[in-house]
Amino acid sequence: MSLGDREKLFRYRRGIPKFILAPSCLFLFLNFWSFPQAQPTLEVSARDYADYSRLIVASSKPLSTSIEKSESFLFVKIRANTPFRIQKESLQSRFIKSVEWSQGRGFYTLTIRTQHADFSYDSFKVSNPPQFIIDIYPNGRKDEEETAKTSAGTPVVEARTEKVDLPSQDPECIVIDPGHGGLEVGAKGKFGTLEKDLTLAIGMKLAEIVRQRRACNIVLTRDSDVDISLEDRAAVANNNKATLFISIHVNSSYRIGAAGPETFFLSKDASDEEARRLAFLENNSENLANNIEADDEDVIKMILWDMAQTAYLKQSSELAERIQNELNLLWGTTNRGIKQAPFKVLTGVACPAVLIEVAFISNAQEERKLLTEEYQLKVAEAIYKGLSNFLRENSHL
Amino acid sequence: MDTKRLVILGVLFVFLVVLVIIFFNLGSEMKPKAAPPLPSDRIESSQGPAEPITIVLFFPSENDDLLHREEREIISESSEGEKAKRIIEEIFKGSQRGYLSPIPPETKLRELFITKDGVAYVDFSRDISEKHLSGSSAEISTIFSVVNSLSYNLKSVKKVFILIDGGERKTLGGHIDLTMAFSPQYDLVAN
Repeated sequence: MSLGDREKLFRYRRGIPKFILAPSCLFLFLNFWSFPQAQPTLEVSARDYADYSRLIVASSKPLSTSIEKSESFLFVKIRANTPFRIQKESLQSRFIKSVEWSQGRGFYTLTIRTQHADFSYDSFKVSNPPQFIIDIYPNGRKDEEETAKTSAGTPVVEARTEKVDLPSQDPECIVIDPGHGGLEVGAKGKFGTLEKDLTLAIGMKLAEIVRQRRACNIVLTRDSDVDISLEDRAAVANNNKATLFISIHVNSSYRIGAAGPETFFLSKDASDEEARRLAFLENNSENLANNIEADDEDVIKMILWDMAQTAYLKQSSELAERIQNELNLLWGTTNRGIKQAPFKVLTGVACPAVLIEVAFISNAQEERKLLTEEYQLKVAEAIYKGLSNFLRENSHL
Repeated sequence: MDTKRLVILGVLFVFLVVLVIIFFNLGSEMKPKAAPPLPSDRIESSQGPAEPITIVLFFPSENDDLLHREEREIISESSEGEKAKRIIEEIFKGSQRGYLSPIPPETKLRELFITKDGVAYVDFSRDISEKHLSGSSAEISTIFSVVNSLSYNLKSVKKVFILIDGGERKTLGGHIDLTMAFSPQYDLVAN
């Protein structure tokens, strides 16, 4: 290499930094400057349910935890090789008095003080996003059930989800509706997956779980690949005097990035109209009884059919929320709310009814997950947990 | 010989052409005609002069689950019915700002009329249902893109009823109920 060449190379080398060095310096600086923000976080939130409180410890990093009970305290120990940034927010909950963080060598301790010394708890982990979840039950019903169940040899975790039916009532009946079927294939995935197949797989798994854990009647609107009209699906629920109607679907969107579960109940727009019809019917019911001609009866039946769901909207929204909560935990979606829309299949159902879009088939990642038995089972578990939470809070149903 | 054969062929050809014409005429007569409203119910479609107007269309976006406003200027006759048709055609054309198209591109508008009690009947070709993605979210964005765009721009439209191939259908793809008129839902629109 001649001297001239070297000089050229040198000059060449010196030429670049003007463009590259300054931005990269800035980048590095910003990186260091923003480093404290990239520190893993720990955040506690609580939510009250009818007979228990749920405490969620969320982090941006997988957690290694242990939990210990002592009188009215619960101690959650979280191992930490690197320091966490603790986000403090005031917590209000019916069964939890206070929570407090303390730091030891290589670990953090969360001290949970409950309202009563007499309580039991249940804890589990969710991996995406990393969460440690603690359900706290005050004395009373859960304990009794639990002791009864454990002495009978049933695992403790299941005891909470089981409910003893009151003999005086009709046995509860849960109708599970796997969406689409037959020629009506529903949405299609990028790998050719059909919505009708996934809804059937998840529906059957859900039915199996309910059958194992609840003393109740389970009816599937279809258990094979057949075409069933939307009205017939609602009729199945009504003819079986359903306690709950759960329609299972898989979503599809024009958005490539659309992801996550969504739980729907019937929309208000429809119900407003039905409410007006209902008011009309109530005001005219005496006359109606006397004056109905044979032809009109069909019309009245149609109107009654149309408004079947109206009376149950509030309960349907609660049911939707319980299920959505569990699906959010499963998919790691940050608190996606419940939604309302005028779904044809829901209008004729005379009981609390929801339509669950378990994930997006139009999203390749979610499609791939939904194809695995493991995920289908997880989705079914989440739906079951949601509906049993709802039933526990509405034990009069 | 040859001329005889030619004549026979010619007659057969004419016969065939006549058959084809009869077949297609019958076919178009047998297609279901757009449903209810009586002519007297329709708003008078006085042929006003064409003039530029600004309309707002609602399109779904890649970024969120909401519909997004897009203003554009169009030339339209002043009657509400004509404006409504132009609005649907503009939705067919798609967004000029990179939003998503909510309607399958093969879809055609067959008929559109507005009744005196404020219901716009929009009759699409069957492609809107057959070529549809048919997921709940996709159905919701298709329906409310149409319903919101018509209701927002036209005073005479309070509700929108969607027909397919001239008749009432239960759903687009097994989800949202098409058997009743939709009120606009502006809570689906991004601020």
